[in-house]
Amino acid sequence: MKRLTLLPIARVTICGALLAATPTLFAQDPGRALGGLLRGLGGNLQIGNLAPAGNQGAQPTDLLKMLSESMESIDEPKEIEIGRQLAAVLLGSKPLSRDMALQRYVNQLGRWISLQSSRPNLPWTFGVIDDPGFNAFAAPGGYVFVTKGLIDRVDEAELAGILAHEITHVEAKHHLMALRSKARAGLFAALVGSQVRGSAAAQAISAQMLALGKDLYGSGLDQADEFESDRQGVALAARAGFDPYGLPAVLQQLRTASPDNQLFSLALSTHPPTQQRLDQLEQAMGRRLDDLAGKPVVRIADRLR
Amino acid sequence: MRRDPPLGLSAWQLGALALAVVAPFAWAQESAVIKRATELRQMPGTSAAVVASLPAQTVVTRLPDRSGPWVQVRLADGASGWLHMFDLGPTSGAASTAAPTESSGSGLLRGMTNLLGRGPGASSTTSTSASGIRGLDKSDIQRAQPNPAAVTEVEGQRLTEAQAREFAARAQLQAVPVDPLPAPPRPAPANQGDPSQPQQ
Repeated sequence: MKRLTLLPIARVTICGALLAATPTLFAQDPGRALGGLLRGLGGNLQIGNLAPAGNQGAQPTDLLKMLSESMESIDEPKEIEIGRQLAAVLLGSKPLSRDMALQRYVNQLGRWISLQSSRPNLPWTFGVIDDPGFNAFAAPGGYVFVTKGLIDRVDEAELAGILAHEITHVEAKHHLMALRSKARAGLFAALVGSQVRGSAAAQAISAQMLALGKDLYGSGLDQADEFESDRQGVALAARAGFDPYGLPAVLQQLRTASPDNQLFSLALSTHPPTQQRLDQLEQAMGRRLDDLAGKPVVRIADRLR
Repeated sequence: MRRDPPLGLSAWQLGALALAVVAPFAWAQESAVIKRATELRQMPGTSAAVVASLPAQTVVTRLPDRSGPWVQVRLADGASGWLHMFDLGPTSGAASTAAPTESSGSGLLRGMTNLLGRGPGASSTTSTSASGIRGLDKSDIQRAQPNPAAVTEVEGQRLTEAQAREFAARAQLQAVPVDPLPAPPRPAPANQGDPSQPQQ
């Protein structure tokens, strides 16, 4: 993020309106965070209805400010509020599945796994996104989403491994830390905010959270956080009584996916190389969990009957 | 190649029998290579009979069945058996890239066939008709307009601790103590990683 110099920031003040009017031109801008920021700003000024339901609009300002100052000031309710806003972005990209039995099943599975985590009392919320791609997402405060395309390709232990990986991201606040480093990467939050006058200011700051969220889910987390979530996700799934090899089995299948396969491209581009993830898991697991693995395979379709 | 007589059924083997009854889930029948010398076993588990002793670098075909860490593979001579998944690696040096050694189709088509096929029973019609499907990607996220109503809806699906425990009891899932896994040394930085991801 050091490449965000003051020069493009200064340009914001001059060209902001122009950029906002032509957002897609800057999709490949190397200063991606800033580009995303401007796109978010433009979109929001036109749409003007960003804050989640029940939010009074001023709060996002505080959240982003606190995020860029210190993690300690983000208490659990604020963490959940940030998660709600990011969840709104994810669910703004694709709708929820209408399969209510499946939604309930994923909540049963995920809530059970979350009970074995270090944060069992968060308001854990699980959702299936109606998308043929293969992916899973988490947001602060206990929001976890998986795509229908993923569900269709895994068994229960494999889904448990994926959910446990995402739950670990929430436990360890990986997204909050990533947002924080993005928010601190420049003075741009304050600078851009100061350019917007009057009642639009609150929405504009909220648009910054939108832009940060889009940047986050488009680029992924720190690789170290992914390795940690793989490792501790395996342990968490095993703790919940599942075959510990669910997650490694999913990764073995992901490894065979061609990088240009459009069902897998986002999952592959936002995570470390799959073979590295498997190598790290092999080193961490050894054969120490093999005694927990002799369980009958459960198909998701059988659970939904 | 030595072939031992079958032993008594272990829990692993019973698991494998159960697995064989239900349809397999895995997608790929990929070529893979044995990372280190190991035994091919008749059933999942280290106590199962040895079908063959395989040297490192043996090329095998991964079959769809899995039971815990044990995956079924087929040898070039047609014999099949079970290996620990951590003894299997990709055929090419390129990580996360499939190695199309036996397909004449394009890489993309082969990928689609692998990923959408449901094992030996899947019809190729299903696979090819699905080619070109695009999943949620960066452009969808960039275009997203926040949908707070959907968040409220998904929050309505939350379950209580009691409901989750009831599910676990029905599903015969029991919590067991498992220590956190130790962190291995970090791998060398990947040259294909996203530049915005810090490499440590």
